[in-house]
Amino acid sequence: MKSLLGTLALTTALTIPGLAMARSVTLTTTLNNYGGDGAYLALYVTDASGAYAGSLWMAGGKSKYYEHLRDWYRATGGDTAQVNGITGASVGAGRTLEVTLDLADALFDAGYTLHIDAAVEDLRDSPNEVAVPLTAEGAGTPVQGRRYIASFVYDM
Amino acid sequence: MRKTLTLLVASTALTAAIGVPAWSAMQAPAGRGLGPVAALFEEDPQTMPLILASDDDDDRGWREGSRRGDDDDDDDEEDEDDDDDDGCDDDEGVCRGGARNPAPAGTVAPPQNGLFENGAPPQVQVN
Repeated sequence: MKSLLGTLALTTALTIPGLAMARSVTLTTTLNNYGGDGAYLALYVTDASGAYAGSLWMAGGKSKYYEHLRDWYRATGGDTAQVNGITGASVGAGRTLEVTLDLADALFDAGYTLHIDAAVEDLRDSPNEVAVPLTAEGAGTPVQGRRYIASFVYDM
Repeated sequence: MRKTLTLLVASTALTAAIGVPAWSAMQAPAGRGLGPVAALFEEDPQTMPLILASDDDDDRGWREGSRRGDDDDDDDEEDEDDDDDDGCDDDEGVCRGGARNPAPAGTVAPPQNGLFENGAPPQVQVN
C-alpha cells in the first residue's frame, strides 16, 4: 500500500509540471473579402530581440510561393523544414482559419511577438500584416491586419 | 545474257553513285554539317543533339504589385489540387528548381523549435 502511494505521488509530481508548461492556444485569423485567390499566410514568432524564434503555422503548401511571405522568407531562407508538420491549405477570401496548438508556456509574457505575413497571387505581398505581443492579457483581444486580414485573435 | 549483265552493271553503278554519298553524309561526325541527320544513325544516343522546337512553359508567377489580369479562374479558395502548370509535382512534393514542399500537418510531428510543447499535431479548421 505504501509503495502504491509512493508511486502515485511520484507520477503526479512528474505529470503536473508537464501540464503546467504547455498551453492549448487557438489562433483565429479571418480574412477580408479582397477578391483574389487563396491567401498564403505564415504565422511565426520573434523573441524579445526581434530574432526569428520559429514558425507556428503555414497556410499554403507550395514552397515556390514562399518568397512572397517576405519577412518569414528572409528569416528562414525559405527552409521548408521550419514548417514541416504545421502546413495546411491556403485560405480563401472571407474565410476564417482556426489553428489550435499546444504551445510552450514560456512563450507568454516573455517578450515574444507573433507575426503574420500574407501573400495572394497577383496581388500585393503583405509582410508583417499582423504583429501582436504574446501576453496572457492580450489573449482574446482581436487585432486588425493591414491588408488581407480582417481580424486576428489568440485564445488560451 | 549480255543484256542481263548490262542491266545488272547499270543498276549497281546507279546504286553506288547515289548510295555512297548518302552513306558518307550519314557517317559524318556531328558538328560538321548534316550533324543531326548523321546523329540519328549513330550508336550512342547521348550524342544526339537537343533541338528546342518551342517553349510554351507557363512561368507566370505571383507578380508583385500588380492586379489580376488574365486570370479567369474564379476559384477563390485554396487551390492545392488544381491541375495547374506551376512547375510543382504535387504527388512528389517537389517544385521546379528542386524546392521541396513541406510535409502537411498530421503527417509528421511539428518541428522541434521549442515553441511546441509535446509534439501533438495541430488541430486546424477553415470556416
